[in-house]
Amino acid sequence: MILRLAIGSLGARALTVAMTVLAIALSVALFLGVEKVRTGAKASFADTISGTDLIVGARSGSVQLLLYSVFRIGNATNNVTWESYQDIAARPEVDWIVPISLGDSHRQFRVMGTTVEFFERYKYRQGRGLEVADGALMSDLFDTVIGADVASSLGYDVDDPIVVAHGIASFSEHKDQPFRVSGILAKTGTPVDRTVIVSLEAIEAIHVDWQNGAQVPGQSTPPEVIRQMDLAPNAVTAALVGVESPLQIFALQRTINEYTAEPMLAVLPGVALQELWAIVGVAETALLSVSAMVVVTALIGMMATIFSSLNERRREMAIFRAMGAKPTTIMGLLVLEAALTAAIGALLGILLLYAGLIIAQPIIDGAFGLWLPIAAPSLRELTVLLGVVVAGAIVSLIPAFRAYRLSLTDGMMVRT
Amino acid sequence: MKYSFPVLLALIAIPAIAENARVLDAHEHGVGELNIAVDGKTVAMEFHAPGADIVGFEYAATSAKDRAAIDAAVALLAKPLDLFVPTAAAECSVIQAGAALESEEKHDEHDHEKHSEHEAHKDHDDHAKADASHTEFHAKYTLTCGNPDALAGIDFPYFEAFENALELEVQIVTTSGAQAFEVERDRPMLDLRGVF
Repeated sequence: MILRLAIGSLGARALTVAMTVLAIALSVALFLGVEKVRTGAKASFADTISGTDLIVGARSGSVQLLLYSVFRIGNATNNVTWESYQDIAARPEVDWIVPISLGDSHRQFRVMGTTVEFFERYKYRQGRGLEVADGALMSDLFDTVIGADVASSLGYDVDDPIVVAHGIASFSEHKDQPFRVSGILAKTGTPVDRTVIVSLEAIEAIHVDWQNGAQVPGQSTPPEVIRQMDLAPNAVTAALVGVESPLQIFALQRTINEYTAEPMLAVLPGVALQELWAIVGVAETALLSVSAMVVVTALIGMMATIFSSLNERRREMAIFRAMGAKPTTIMGLLVLEAALTAAIGALLGILLLYAGLIIAQPIIDGAFGLWLPIAAPSLRELTVLLGVVVAGAIVSLIPAFRAYRLSLTDGMMVRT
Repeated sequence: MKYSFPVLLALIAIPAIAENARVLDAHEHGVGELNIAVDGKTVAMEFHAPGADIVGFEYAATSAKDRAAIDAAVALLAKPLDLFVPTAAAECSVIQAGAALESEEKHDEHDHEKHSEHEAHKDHDDHAKADASHTEFHAKYTLTCGNPDALAGIDFPYFEAFENALELEVQIVTTSGAQAFEVERDRPMLDLRGVF
């Protein structure tokens, strides 16, 4: 009975109610959307590297080493000498080791020197491997394999010639040694998409005619001569290491960290990612609290609407009283109306969220490499929805109490 | 020559380092480290904690009382299942356990043979000279667990045994990756569901 009244009453004021519902729906969609992006970003982040037991580089910080060697952002770490690299590679605990050499760029993309083993050992998203979408892996000194984003934003195809620049965003380009695109990798959603991969020897080859950061004037070694040269690398930036058994990880890590000939650092990728996320997590909490405040604002807006509707509904309330409704019934009616409004708002909000996700999912994946899974609402999300409805009912108690008092004093004749 | 510059530096630096490498580990009072590696049924653990956490002092033990305190602590640390208690259903038992006190001296006072002795966890008490600024307790354990899938958590009576210990930084490595946890005195337990 009272439910029918509440629905009828909401229906009579459809436009005002619709606006309130929309405000609540948008705020709920925003809150849940932020939550989705937050968890999605965290998962994507953690999925950037898997299957690697240790990342080895020059002694810096674990987060810095991880950022530079895997995400290719932040300050460059020092290089590690080839001798030390080989010392580590020769350790009995080491199952496989893949060197990484950074420091050059192609347009806005980083160039990474490594070995062909990288394509086999680098894993992301719980053990998924890299796949070549087009062409083949490097087979020649001047072959490159490029990530999906490099290919799409620069419009490269297999067999296109490219020029690799010295340093990042440098004006002096290594024009002498044109590289060739031999393969394009499938999209991964990791920094590999934005990387131009060449062999370690190729990194050395680029620098043959260079002394102290500038090209030696008048000296230009033709590619044929470079091919004859000894291109054994002098240094690498970092190395990805896999061990024979997890039991040996800590011992190997300690050996590397205490290596006396050169200050080096070995980090556990999972632990470094956690450390990094602990830093990012502060911003994440701020974002979440802002969107929570938007929900609160929408609910307060609803309270304001109920307040302003009280005056125009005094006659209505008086009629209910005359027909035998108790003052508590009037109060209950108002609270029920508010709870219904909040519930419709919350439901519409979650519909908006899923509609938005379905539309935005491929776009976000393409633009940011961030995969937002579309799944049934989690327990946490359902709790949020229930919380909005309960909060709506509680907020409406204040105007409802006023209506209760008014209905006690007002007679049939409303004195205004 | 971006690449050869660091190499040149390294060439200059190597002889200097070889003579006396001045390297110290991190040392934070109240905070110990526990590394756990799990492979099949074998669980390897490594434990490090400042002397201040375990016995309450870090000077070289000279009095009989201090020596007794250290001996008692080492004996306690050699029984891992009394300090770090895995879920009973995992049926873990100790295969190997050893603990020792190691003094954190400046490494340049030693030549490398002695340094490698450090690693081998031999008679560390001999190294605890009067000028040592910090001491650390180290321990290594190997456990075998009959039912490793049932390993759902670890309790830490460790904090009851050692009153000065406030926190343990735990790192766990399995075939599926590495994770870090902080176990604090207020909540001396570790939930491992979802790690394996």
